[in-house]
Amino acid sequence: MVRRLKHPFPFTARIRAVVEGQAMTYADEHRYPPSAPTGWPESYGHDAPRYDSYGRQAPWNAPWDAPYAHETHRDDADLAALRSAYRLLRRISTLTALGSFVVYVVLSCYAPGLMGSRVTGELSLGMALGILQLVVTFAAVFWYGRSAQRSVDPLARAVRERTVPAGRNAGMAR
Amino acid sequence: MNDFSSGTQALVLVLFTTLVTVTLLMCVMAGPDRDDLANFYTGYLSLTPLKNGLAIAGDYISAATVLSTTGIIALSGYDGYVLAVSTALSLVLLMFLLAEPLRNAGRFTMGDVLARNMSGRAVRIAACVVTLSATLPFLVVQLSGAGSLLTFILDIPYAAGARTACIVIVGTLMIIYAAIGGMRGTALIQMIKIVLLLGTSIVVAALVLNRFDWSPGDILRAAQHGSGAGPAYLQQGLQLGTSTGGRLDFVSLQITVILGVACLPHITMRLYSAQDVPAVRRSMSWAVGTVTAFCLLVIIMGTGAAALVGSQYITAADPHGRTSVLMLSQMLGGPPGSAGATTLYSAVAGMVFITLLSSVAGMTLAAASSLAHDLFAHAVRRGQAEPRTEMTVAAWTSVAVGIVAIGLATMVQNWDVGVLTTAAICIGASAVAPALTYSLFWRGFTRTGLLATLYGGAACALLLMVFSKAVSGTPSAVFPHADFDLFPMQSTGLVSIPFGYLSGWLGSLLDHRRRAADSREQRRLYEESEARLLAAAQ
Repeated sequence: MVRRLKHPFPFTARIRAVVEGQAMTYADEHRYPPSAPTGWPESYGHDAPRYDSYGRQAPWNAPWDAPYAHETHRDDADLAALRSAYRLLRRISTLTALGSFVVYVVLSCYAPGLMGSRVTGELSLGMALGILQLVVTFAAVFWYGRSAQRSVDPLARAVRERTVPAGRNAGMAR
Repeated sequence: MNDFSSGTQALVLVLFTTLVTVTLLMCVMAGPDRDDLANFYTGYLSLTPLKNGLAIAGDYISAATVLSTTGIIALSGYDGYVLAVSTALSLVLLMFLLAEPLRNAGRFTMGDVLARNMSGRAVRIAACVVTLSATLPFLVVQLSGAGSLLTFILDIPYAAGARTACIVIVGTLMIIYAAIGGMRGTALIQMIKIVLLLGTSIVVAALVLNRFDWSPGDILRAAQHGSGAGPAYLQQGLQLGTSTGGRLDFVSLQITVILGVACLPHITMRLYSAQDVPAVRRSMSWAVGTVTAFCLLVIIMGTGAAALVGSQYITAADPHGRTSVLMLSQMLGGPPGSAGATTLYSAVAGMVFITLLSSVAGMTLAAASSLAHDLFAHAVRRGQAEPRTEMTVAAWTSVAVGIVAIGLATMVQNWDVGVLTTAAICIGASAVAPALTYSLFWRGFTRTGLLATLYGGAACALLLMVFSKAVSGTPSAVFPHADFDLFPMQSTGLVSIPFGYLSGWLGSLLDHRRRAADSREQRRLYEESEARLLAAAQ
């Protein structure tokens, strides 16, 4: 099995696992590329993105005469890396947004005393938190764009270039 | 209803005519070639991220959002603030969770996303049915609202004929936009609308703040006084009550809104017209930024309406407060008849008018696209339809959807049908959201599971809605005198969202047991297409 990223929120990871089918009946069918038989080190999937970000001129990264099996295997490893990068990003961003809002609504309903306490003047804690969420949204969107650019986009580019070796724009077309 | 000179009415009419002329002209000029499907459905992917983002925001902020949310804030204070926050966060959730894979998986409609790994016509038909059941109620409620709003704005004396005429005029315009303009034409209108909407809202909000010397404390004090509720205005509970049931109902409504609004097909449809994944991300950043800024402005405008107009007058004009923005602009402009009052009132009226027009046009286009692409081209013709034929069918289905919506809106114009908005959002949250999340992220999802989610979630939401407190049993219900409210809530999300997810899961489990070969094949297809889903690779 290729390594799994550590979950920042274990209980939510379980929820996602159900949604994404990790806990489903086929958990052990070729989900991840089998790494042992081909003899690649365990850490390969983890290191792949770093090599890829150097581009195709890295000599060890472009084995022109590599056997077909290795190509497929690396495709799978790339895809697995991309999959877990996306999954981590999705998990953190979605759960933070949804979680903070749910906590806010539940507190508003069931702790009106706390949310009604005055912060300054007429402004209550509940109102301040509500407006704060809207303001933080701008920062969250900016953060999401930057982290996606850093963690996901290079991997996605690598997968695209592997799958469509001919023509740079082919990956863009649909 | 509003004591205004005929000069104001004339100015408003001139403004409306100008808006209609300009938008129609742009629609015709931006319209697609007669036999290019990709152009009609996605506008050649030619919009820049900024433009596409503004179009998404324009589609997202419907007339219902502008008018109802302001009204709810003006009348119930805190509950309205939470609604504004959940409306903004819903789009954030769409951006974080679904936007990128959705853009890679989709082509023209929601049916394309759901049916990408699943053959057969049943999936297409189900996608079309759910798209229609989510967009048509929204369309009807806004068209029937257009009738009463336009008669209010133009100060036409109350008569059934006048309202019907307004509904028919708005409906006809919306058909023309959708049928002629296609995706590109409506995108242009949405952009004009969002710019006008934001500009006018900024002016109104600034005037409100200026009236109170930019002191939030003074506005809140005046709003507490004006709403007649006192300190309760700044606490949860004015909208649905503070009993245990009322609070649960409130939580349910907010969860439904945050999961449902952004999943509605007319919004997800805009994502397919982004060029690539970074473009869809930038588009969504613009859209989220615009919507969030607008929600902040709505909070100021709603509070200002409570402070300056007072809930007594607002409820006298409309029990749900949907005219509060207009009444606020009458208050802010200065003495009646002055140049300032006339200009501000006309600007706000124009903003409401273009918002109404563009949001109904976007929904008509979504419904018509689904009918033409999912039902006609893929279910009836099994994917063998000529592009030219499909285009013609799409134009005619726009006309058909429009006529049906006009007919329904005319029929229900004397009822209080705000509940249809809730119904549409509930279907979005209980059928569309589960289907999309499963289909994009779960490799074990099967055909039976998909059909069970779509039909089960939608049916559960609709059925519970019919027996909810919003339809009968309360004074503000559609049938206040009837009494069949077996489901003691205003919105159905608390039950129907888990039901939608559960039925998809159980349906897929059933397939795994009964048709193991089929579901393994489905799984293989998902894995084969994963590179395309995640990286847009072919």
